Amino acid sequence: MPKIKQDKNGQTNSISQVRYGCALGAMHSVSAIPGAIPITHCGPGCVDKQYMSLSFYNGYQGGGYSGGAVPPSSNLQEKDVVFGGAKHLEQLIEASLKIMDADLFVVLNGCIPEIVGDDIGAVVARYQEKGVPIVSAETGGFKGNNFTGHEIVTEAIIEQFVDKYADKSKKQKGLINVWSELPFQNTFWRGDLTELKRILEGAGWQVNILFGYGSKGAAEWLTIPNAEFNLVVGPWLGLKTAKLLEKKYGQPYLHLPVLPIGAKQAGEFLRAIAAFAKENEVQTEAFIKQEEREYYYYLEYFTDFYAEYWWGLPAAYAVVSDAAYNLAINKFLVNQLGLIPAKQIITDHTPEKYQEAIREQYRQLAEDVSAEVEFVEDGYIVGELLRQQDYGHKPPVIFGTSWERDIVKELKGHIVEVSYPVSYDVVLNKTYIGYRGALTLLETIFTTAISKSA
Amino acid sequence: MPKKINLDIASVEQREQRLGTIIAWDGTTEDLHKQSSYELRGQRERGTGCGGNCRLCELQGPFTQGSVCSEQMVECQAGNVRDAVLIQHAPIGCGGGQVPYNNIYRNGLAMRGFPVENIRIINTNLLESDMVFGAADKLRQSIDDAYKRYQPQAIFVASSCATGIIGEDIESITDEKEAELGIPVIPMACEGFRSKHWSTGFDATQHGILRQIVRKNPTKKQEDLVNVINLWGSDVFSPMLAHLDLRVNYVVDLASVEELAQMSEAAATVGFCYTLSSYMAAALEQHFGVPEVKAPMPYGFAGTDAWLRELAKVTHREHLVEKFIQEEHARVKPKVEELKQKLKGVKGFVATGSAYAHGLIQVLRELEVEVDGSLTFHHDPVYDSGDQREDSLGHLNEHYGQVKNFHVSNRQQYQLYAFLQENQPDFLLIRHNGLAPLASRLGIPSAPLGDEHIAVGYDGIVNLGETILEILAHKKFHDDIKQHVKLPYKKWWLEQKDAYVLARHPELVKFDEEEYRAEQERKEAAHA
Repeated sequence: MPKIKQDKNGQTNSISQVRYGCALGAMHSVSAIPGAIPITHCGPGCVDKQYMSLSFYNGYQGGGYSGGAVPPSSNLQEKDVVFGGAKHLEQLIEASLKIMDADLFVVLNGCIPEIVGDDIGAVVARYQEKGVPIVSAETGGFKGNNFTGHEIVTEAIIEQFVDKYADKSKKQKGLINVWSELPFQNTFWRGDLTELKRILEGAGWQVNILFGYGSKGAAEWLTIPNAEFNLVVGPWLGLKTAKLLEKKYGQPYLHLPVLPIGAKQAGEFLRAIAAFAKENEVQTEAFIKQEEREYYYYLEYFTDFYAEYWWGLPAAYAVVSDAAYNLAINKFLVNQLGLIPAKQIITDHTPEKYQEAIREQYRQLAEDVSAEVEFVEDGYIVGELLRQQDYGHKPPVIFGTSWERDIVKELKGHIVEVSYPVSYDVVLNKTYIGYRGALTLLETIFTTAISKSA
Repeated sequence: MPKKINLDIASVEQREQRLGTIIAWDGTTEDLHKQSSYELRGQRERGTGCGGNCRLCELQGPFTQGSVCSEQMVECQAGNVRDAVLIQHAPIGCGGGQVPYNNIYRNGLAMRGFPVENIRIINTNLLESDMVFGAADKLRQSIDDAYKRYQPQAIFVASSCATGIIGEDIESITDEKEAELGIPVIPMACEGFRSKHWSTGFDATQHGILRQIVRKNPTKKQEDLVNVINLWGSDVFSPMLAHLDLRVNYVVDLASVEELAQMSEAAATVGFCYTLSSYMAAALEQHFGVPEVKAPMPYGFAGTDAWLRELAKVTHREHLVEKFIQEEHARVKPKVEELKQKLKGVKGFVATGSAYAHGLIQVLRELEVEVDGSLTFHHDPVYDSGDQREDSLGHLNEHYGQVKNFHVSNRQQYQLYAFLQENQPDFLLIRHNGLAPLASRLGIPSAPLGDEHIAVGYDGIVNLGETILEILAHKKFHDDIKQHVKLPYKKWWLEQKDAYVLARHPELVKFDEEEYRAEQERKEAAHA
C-alpha cells in the first residue's frame, strides 16, 4: 500500500501538466529588473528548463538583456558533486564580472549545491566586501516553487543590496512600492505592470514598479526604503516582502487582494489606496472620472453586440490559474459581464495560511454571487474537476493554460489562455487588467467565442 | 572489434566514456578529424582511449552559460512515446521541461497526422525532506498514478540530479513495479551532472528501450521494415523508402510501444544523424542482429546516393536503387541549379548538434553557399559501431572540403559573438534555442530547423535552399532590431578575437578590485 496521502480531490505527490517553476525559476525575477543579471549555480539543464517553460513557451516572452541563454551558469558536473562546487562558483563569478555588464548580479543556486552544501553566501560575501553589487539567494529547486523563489530573491536583494547602498534617511511623500504579479510566470506581467503603474500615477502616486520596462532597475530598488508605504496587489504574493519592509523600514503596507480589471474594480482599487493614505483623494476622483469616460465610451458600443448577438454567447465559466489572476478574472466576469461561475481552481501552491481568506473572497464575488474554489497543483486532477462540472446547456469558457486545450475540446467549450503555460498566444505588451486591459479581455473572450463556428 | 554495447546493467555508459566526447574545441575540420582518429578509435576497445596515438584536447575555461541536460533529451524521447508515460523522479524544477516538450509533442503529432493531445509526464515533486529521507514511496505512488490514469503500455522513469546525489535506488522500485503491473517499467540514468554532454540522454532512453521493450526473440522477421531513428520530423522517409519497396518504422518519438518492440524484426536500421542514432543502431545490430546501414548520412547528392546504395545493399534491393537515384537526380538537379543562382555569394554558418551539422554543411556546399565557419555543441570522435563508413566528419572533409573555422561550443552564446565577427555570415542554421537571439541582435537571421528532416535526401537540398531564401528576407527585421539593442557583454569581451581566450588564459578573469572600482566609477559618471 502506498504511504502517500491523497487529498479530497485525489491529488497525490504526482504533478503532471506543471503550472509553476521551481525556486530557481525566480532567476526570471532578476532578469525582469532592467540591468540585473542572474548568475546560476546549478546543473547544466536548469536554466534552459526554467527559461523554455516560464518564458519561451509561455507567451514567447523572450530572454531580453539577461534571460534565455545569457545567464552565466556553472553547469555542475560529477566532480562538483564529489568535491563541492564553491571554487567553481568563485571562478564563474570572477569571469562574469569581467565579461557581463550589469548593475546588479544575483547568484542563485539549484538543487545540487543545496544538497552537497556549497556555501554560496560565503563565496558571494567576498565580492560584496569589495564593493561589488552582488547578492546571493538560496533557491534550491526542492525548496519550493518560483513564487517562493521570488520572495527569496526579492528579500535577498533588499537585505544584501538595498539595505547596504540606499539612502534610508527620508521618506518621500506619495512614493509607493508595488508588489504584485510574478514576472514571466504571469504571461501578461509586462503589459499589466505598465497599466498598473499608469493608473497609479494617474491617481497621483509616484510608483516603484520594480520590474519590467517601467522600472529604473537597481537605482529604483535603492529608493524602496524611501517609499511612504508598500502596496501588495493580489491575494498573497508579496505579503511576506511587505511585512519584512514594515519591520525593516517602518513602512506600513496596504493589501488589496483583487488585482483590478474593469472600471468598477479599478475605481474601488484607486479609492482604497487614497483612503488608506489619506492622500490624492481629489486627483484619484478626477482620474477615475476621466478613465471611466473612455472606458464606457467603448463599452457603450460593445453593448449592441452583447445585447443582441444571435448566435449564442457563453454563460458559464471556470478559471484555472494562479491566485492573483483567478480572483481578478472572477471579479470582472461576475460584476462586469454577469457570467456564471462554475468551480474555480487555483494552481500556484498558495500557502495554506492564506487559503481561507481567499475562499472568503469567492463567497462574496458579488452581493448575490459566490463560487467554490479549489487549490490543485496536478494538471490531471484539474482535468478531472473540469470534466465533472455542470455548465448548463451551453459549453463553458475555460480561462486556463495550454494544458486545458484537450479538456476544452472534450467539453466543446472555448479556451482563453490566461495562465502559465500560455503556449498558443504570442504576448508582447498585452494587458488584461486595469481599464485598458479589461477592454482587451472582452475582445479576447468574445473573439474566441464567436470565431469557433467559423 | 570494438567493445560490444553492454545491455546487462541498468545505467547507460556515458558518451564521453564510450566515445571520448568533447564539448569545447577550436580549429579546422581537418585538424579535428585528424585528432579524432576515427579509424584507430573504431578499432580499439572503448574506454581505453587511443593508446597515446591521438590527442583530442578540450578547451575548458572558467566561464559558461546555461546549457542543456541529459534529462531533457529523455523527455523529448521517452516522453514522446505515444502510449507510454514518463515519470520524472525529481524536484518540481525538472518538471519545467513538461511545457516545451508538450509543445514539441503536440506539433509533432500534428505534423505526422496523429490526433493532437497533451504529453504524459508526471513529476514526483521531491521536497526538502525527501532529500533527507529518500522518496521511494513517492515514486511508487507516481507509477501507480501513471498506470491507473493512462493504462500505458510502458512506464519510463527518469532520474534527476537530486535523486542521483541522495542515492535513490530507482532500479529496485522499477523492478518491483514491473513485476506487479506486467508492463515494462524502465529506469533511466540521466542525471544532468553525470555526463558533460546532454546527448547521453538519448543513449539513456535508447538503453532502456533496448533492455526492456525490444522483443528479445522475435518469431518473425519483417524483411521490408526499416527502423528510422529520428525525432518528430515530418514523414520524408516513407516516400523515399517506398521506391525501394521498404516500409518505415519511426522510433523513438511518436512511436507506440509496439513499434519500439518490433525494432528487432526489421531488416535494417538507419538514422538522420549519428549523434542520435549511434547507440541504438549499433546495439540493434550487436544484440538483435538487425544490421545498421553504415554509410554517410543522407545529405546532399553524394551523401544521399551513398546512403541509398548501402540501404539497398543491406535490404537486398540493389535492383531498384540505381533507377531511383537517376530519376531523383534528373528531377532535383534543375531546381538545385536555380537555387544556386539565387544563393550566389551568400555565406552561411551552421550551429547545431554534431553529426547533424556535418550533414547540413554538405547540403549548403551542394547549394554552393559559402561555409567558412560553423559550430557543433559537442564532438564525438567516433560513433558506437566504430565503422569508418559512419565517419561523418571525414566524409564532409573528403567530399565537400573542410571548414576552416570550426568550433565545438556547447550552446555558449558569449562565444558565438566572436565566431560571427570572424565569419560574417549572412544567416545561421540552428537547432536548440539560445544562439539565434544573439545572431538576431547582430542583424543576422537564423533558420530554426524544428523539423529535423527538412534537409534530408534530394528534396532536402531544395527545402533547405528555399528555407534560406525565406530567412534572408527576414533580414530587414534583424537589421532594424540591431540598431536598438545593447548586448549584455562588456566591451572588453566583445573586442576579444579568440572565443576561447579564457580557456587559454584563465588568469585574465582574476578579480582586480581597483580595476573594478575604476570601471564602476566610469559607469556611474556616464549614467550621470
